[in-house]
Amino acid sequence: MTSPFVEVDRLSKWYGRTAALQAVSFTVQRGEVLGLIGPNGAGKTTLFECLAGVLPYESGSVSIDGGAVAPGARSRALFYLPDAIAPWPSQRVSWALDFVVGFFGGNRAATPDVIERLALTPLLGAPIGTLSKGQRKRVLLALGLLTPQPLLLCDEPFDGLDLRQTREVGATLREHAAAGRTLFLSIHQISDAARVCDRFVLLSGGRMCGEGTAEDLARRLPDAAPGALAPSLEEVVLGLT
Amino acid sequence: MVSPRAPFLWLIEKEWRELLASRAWWVMLALMGPLVGVSFIGAVRTYAELSGYGGTAEGVGEAFSPLIGIWAPTFSAGELAAAFLLPFVAIRVVAGDKQSGALKLELQQPLPVFARIAAKALVLMAGWLVASLPAALAVGLWASYGGHVYPPELAVVVLGHLLNAGLTIALAAAAAALTDHPATAAIVTLSVTVGTWIVNFVAAVQGGVWEWIAGYTPTAMVAEFQHGLVRLDVVLAGALLAAGGMVVATVWTRLGVRQPRKVAESAGVLALTTAALVACTFVTASWDLSENRMNSFRRADEAILRGIHEPLRIEAHLAAEDPRRVDLDRQAIAKLRRVLPRVDVTYVASTSTGLFEQTREHYGEVWFELGGRRAMSRSTTADGVLSAIYDLAGVTAPEESGDDIFRGHPLAVPPRRAGAVFYGMWPAVVVAAGVWLHRRQI
Repeated sequence: MTSPFVEVDRLSKWYGRTAALQAVSFTVQRGEVLGLIGPNGAGKTTLFECLAGVLPYESGSVSIDGGAVAPGARSRALFYLPDAIAPWPSQRVSWALDFVVGFFGGNRAATPDVIERLALTPLLGAPIGTLSKGQRKRVLLALGLLTPQPLLLCDEPFDGLDLRQTREVGATLREHAAAGRTLFLSIHQISDAARVCDRFVLLSGGRMCGEGTAEDLARRLPDAAPGALAPSLEEVVLGLT
Repeated sequence: MVSPRAPFLWLIEKEWRELLASRAWWVMLALMGPLVGVSFIGAVRTYAELSGYGGTAEGVGEAFSPLIGIWAPTFSAGELAAAFLLPFVAIRVVAGDKQSGALKLELQQPLPVFARIAAKALVLMAGWLVASLPAALAVGLWASYGGHVYPPELAVVVLGHLLNAGLTIALAAAAAALTDHPATAAIVTLSVTVGTWIVNFVAAVQGGVWEWIAGYTPTAMVAEFQHGLVRLDVVLAGALLAAGGMVVATVWTRLGVRQPRKVAESAGVLALTTAALVACTFVTASWDLSENRMNSFRRADEAILRGIHEPLRIEAHLAAEDPRRVDLDRQAIAKLRRVLPRVDVTYVASTSTGLFEQTREHYGEVWFELGGRRAMSRSTTADGVLSAIYDLAGVTAPEESGDDIFRGHPLAVPPRRAGAVFYGMWPAVVVAAGVWLHRRQI
């Protein structure tokens, strides 16, 4: 077993008296597509924002390549792409892509491929604020894919996309992972997560309910009978949360 | 191969594009023409009439200086815009990133947060300079009429308005960073502006410590510059307040930092800024760059006063709202402070207006104490005060010299073409530029 790329150890976050995350621990392996799954209100976005340094947290540590990294320094290793944002709404899509590559030091040569894979060519001249939810999501994904950090945290990458787009985007994400980028995706649609991710972190009510492949999680089911048909990931999630 | 641009330059480009996309900026730009126009046209008309235009008494304008007659009223339009329009532009630029979510993306570039606020401030200042072009047009029109332009005093007025704009931008940036919504930020900014006016009002009525505080409000600062006076303490105080606002904006723009820590850091910034402001009040250097030396005594008088090294104490029995006290302050005490090493002034009055004190035995007296000797005068003019001081110092007043008298620059010319420029051409150019940029999508 190789040493983990990122190791999260007993991370806890409170909103007043409400525990949003309670001693959450898991690892991220280099080059994998890791899915963060769980019901609404499980703490998925909070976990991402704590990892990215957007939110402060009470306790716990995050190590990258074996060394503890303070929140302010994590942006050298990971890029967090939030859900439901519309950055620079007055600016054209083409400018936003150019800006992200220039500002964050991304790979300019990858831009045409990302534009093609996410079908952004007809949108390049449109201001971001005028895009539909699905169009905006594709643009946001492009922005994330063009950033240079080895780990991309993406909150709800398929939200707002139709079935065909979901599959195409999923394939694009897998290609980027195959090319060496590590992806950590927060996905509330379990079927989408099952199709795209290698492993899963299952969260419910701010607590860890499991970590591993779909099979690993299935083995955690209390009534898993030896030799029975493998349950679907949806059944596993329902059983564990 | 194209060399990579530094992240800060990307940020500058982005902020500039955001400014160009801001309707608030375009509205300010369009309104600046008519605002400056109203002030300039009114000022030129008054100046012309006092200079003999239209059959009025020619010669009255001999003592007229364009600084007071033209530049102060014309540029005061900028003061109005800085108070009521610029804050909205600044809040739009600072709060926009938070509202759209762009801040969460941008803060992942390991660039100091202060650099981000500085980029916004630089672009906003550039935007303010563009919006100030109507004032430059006014200078051009005045020169085309044959009006006199004394560059140093004009430069001081411009410096004052830039400092005022810097203060407004810093205040608006801090408010936008502190609050969750632009509307709240606008309320906070306007409350502070109105608060400084209240301080000025209270100072005029109460005097004392309020007067000292009021000396560092934006209105008072701009007034100093509009008189052609550059006071180093005022410049430093303005720069400090602007820097303090920017640092507070930086503190509250950071993500992932707990609120109590932000509050503690802001309190630290406030304490440091206050301490530095108090230190600034001990700086006495100043430069009178007005052509008519309106902030200074005659050169011969100043030469004699510089020979006086003892502290001068003045006890004025005048109420805060008594016009004689205003005269005493402006015509004598302000000028004395610029020349003498130490001037301590005490005001004695039971009421703020002095209306019911006029019959009191000592009301109206101004006592001077220098080197252990005391003298009383009821004069509040510069000559009266100087005379009392010379008597106490045992020196002879200098001879009157015609060379020192400012002859003024009367100009009996109406504001030709100004209406067309400010009410027609400027708004048309702004609208055309806005439409052109919108079609190009910047």
